Amino acid sequence: MKLVATEEERDLAAAMRDLFATHCPTTLVRALREPGGERFPQKLWEALVRAEVLALPFAADVGGSDGTLDDLAVVYAEAGRALCPSVVLNTIHLGLAIDALAAPDRRAARLPSLIRGDLRGTVAVASPYDATDVRPRLRAERTADGLRVTGRLDYVGDADLADAVLTTAAVETYGEPDEVLALLVDPAAPGVQLTPLPTSADDRWHEIVLDGVLVADDAVLGAVGEEELRRVALTVRALQCVDMAAGAETVIARTVAHTCSREQFGRPIGSFQAAQHLVADMHIATQAARLAARSAVFWLGRGRPGVRETAIAVLKAATAYRRVTADAHQLHGGMGYVLETDLHLWSERARRLGVEGGGVDVAAGWLA
Amino acid sequence: MDFALDADQRQWLQEVRAFLREHVTPALVAELAEHDLEKRDGELAAFRRKIGEKGWFGLNWPTEYGGLGLGPIHQHLLVSEFERWGVPGPDLTVTSVAPMIMRHGTEQNKAEFLPPIARGEMVCAVGYSEPDAGTDLASLRTRAVLDGDEWVINGSKIWNSGAQRCTHEWLCVRTNPDVPKHKGISVIIVPIDAPGVSIRPLEAWSGYRTNETFFDDVRVPATNLIGEVDRGWRYITGALDLERGALTNAGDLRRAVDDLWALAREPRRDGAVPATDPGVRRRLAELDADVEVATLMGFEAASLLADGTIPSVEVSTEKVFTSELRQRIAETALDLLGPDGLLGHNTAAAPLHGAFERLYRAAPLLRFGAGTNEVLRDVIAQRGHRMPSYGR
Ligand SMILES: Cc1cc2nc3c(=O)[nH]c(=O)nc-3n(C[C@H](O)[C@H](O)[C@H](O)COP(=O)(O)OP(=O)(O)OC[C@H]3O[C@@H](n4cnc5c(N)ncnc54)[C@H](O)[C@@H]3O)c2cc1C
Repeated sequence: MKLVATEEERDLAAAMRDLFATHCPTTLVRALREPGGERFPQKLWEALVRAEVLALPFAADVGGSDGTLDDLAVVYAEAGRALCPSVVLNTIHLGLAIDALAAPDRRAARLPSLIRGDLRGTVAVASPYDATDVRPRLRAERTADGLRVTGRLDYVGDADLADAVLTTAAVETYGEPDEVLALLVDPAAPGVQLTPLPTSADDRWHEIVLDGVLVADDAVLGAVGEEELRRVALTVRALQCVDMAAGAETVIARTVAHTCSREQFGRPIGSFQAAQHLVADMHIATQAARLAARSAVFWLGRGRPGVRETAIAVLKAATAYRRVTADAHQLHGGMGYVLETDLHLWSERARRLGVEGGGVDVAAGWLA
Repeated sequence: MDFALDADQRQWLQEVRAFLREHVTPALVAELAEHDLEKRDGELAAFRRKIGEKGWFGLNWPTEYGGLGLGPIHQHLLVSEFERWGVPGPDLTVTSVAPMIMRHGTEQNKAEFLPPIARGEMVCAVGYSEPDAGTDLASLRTRAVLDGDEWVINGSKIWNSGAQRCTHEWLCVRTNPDVPKHKGISVIIVPIDAPGVSIRPLEAWSGYRTNETFFDDVRVPATNLIGEVDRGWRYITGALDLERGALTNAGDLRRAVDDLWALAREPRRDGAVPATDPGVRRRLAELDADVEVATLMGFEAASLLADGTIPSVEVSTEKVFTSELRQRIAETALDLLGPDGLLGHNTAAAPLHGAFERLYRAAPLLRFGAGTNEVLRDVIAQRGHRMPSYGR
């Protein structure tokens, strides 16, 4: 038990912070949201591949760098501060899911290309409303050389940029219980229909409708159980909580900077106790979120089912991030409300990450 | 960050639990319920002797001062476990006074005071607050004047808890009235039986006894001054940070929420089972989550302490969080129990011997005590985020 960052964790954080400062300024975040603009952060992607971020949590046998889920949490914190585009994180989720769910030969076939930056994608194994609900949304029939898959997936992030969406399908075999298979769907395959569900922040969620889509044998990753699916979904949720806690820290720092430079009544507004107490409450909520999130990632990385730990992380992180961004708007006054100061970019992320996979009401249900 | 107890820490926790299983007897529990901490030479005194025999009053001190040389994490685990069992363990003398003597005391201070503290023979009342010096503690006026090789002390302390059963005062005094208020303060150890000390009891809402203590030409040896003269403000702010850490331990809250879950699943007097109500379950889930977080905050502060820093911002955060959580737990218990929640320990019908009724009355203290939450929010903003001081 030692709840302080190790030297390696601090070094990794510093390196990531530099990388994001150079390659992920808010101008990029804003540009990616422009209607009709470039959606893929090519330069950032290349820098992350070079820095072996996509290799971090995977074992050396597939070209990974043998890091841990805790290391990945350090990356997520910096990603959260810098508002790292979701296509990067979704692709890491895809890697984690392949690593955890795929049969050895499928894992060996797919992970190296993901690590090299040649495979991007996302995961849709749980309800977007509740990460613990991992019932398959798709049905499949076996064919001579794979599966024929039908059904609908909701709120799939960055499906338009994905080479592969990892999801599950229930396969009926006469006289036997349903089997659940993990598989990779190519959003460009015939019979796949993508409908954007864009948010006001231009997060590119999609509805994916599959109508008898053929999934080749090599894209069928293997049979999977509920327990392992849930661990994947909760790992994603816990990492998002790290993202939220760190994002909230950044918002506090920006808010403090603003209140210490803006003067009213002849003194910085940050010298008023009412302002300081709002900041203190933002701080307390955020530290609670940070500890809860890191603890959830830690225990998921050591084999716990993680439902309880992730529930606590979501309760603290989703509440903290929203509250911190709302209070930040309050302390910025008009200057935080106009788009040019960028504050809304964090507020949008707080809003999305707060509910994706289950927000506070849902998470409280995981505990009770 | 490592969230798992290592083998050594797990073994330590086992040892502490084994000790508590053996020595927290029904007789001790009954005495505490009846007399709180006030009975002399009874079960509690015997229990304290057992703790002393284990060396646990000095568990995280260097061996040269009679300690066991264990770390802050060990202390934190022990204090949490004692809190969870609802019995008094090492008190502020051990967790906050002694470390400051160790850090700042003269060689004579250390040789004279640390060994008896480790044996549990020297127990200090903490004399900071005065009638006109509460939150603005640095304006304290109790005066100490050097006369030959003795300090002569005049003044009074209020909320001087434990004075009626301690051996000494850890007394904060003004030694120099001609400099800015933070710069003329010192700390002096005063034997409680010194001529000129008198104690008037004050009873608090929780049933807790505290005191007003008067010092009338009290004389103590000059060597009883801790560290250097006029440097006391630094020592007491350090001691207060440690006090916050120790006092805001979430061990009792873990137990409270576990008990509350159990109570919620039992029928009340009206036959209703509160846990069947989704609103109740939701409130309990949030409290449960917050107790886990408070526990993590405690471990974080202990970890930083183990690295040699006094984590003032972290303990302030922990203190505000746990003290407000304690109050929310008490409120939730009351809402959940309804009128049953008002029955006190003297009523056989009281749920859990009136534990939650008592908690409701006990909870306000830690919100304003040991640094009010308002001031600690200032500390978080000003020390944690470098926001400008407004001249408090
Ligand atoms: C049962 C009990 C036991 C105690 N034990 C001890 C003990 O053993 N030793 C000891 O030294 N003390 C002890 N105390 C004292 C305790 O620490 C004080 O009560 C506490 O520090 C607050 O001081 P005060 O009561 O004078 O309140 P005040 O200072 O009068 O404060 C009242 C309220 O005003 C607010 N306030 C004051 N200044 C500001 C400001 N600048 N900005 C915003 N709000 C402000 C405070 O936050 C608080 O909410 C004990 C108290 C009690 C009741």
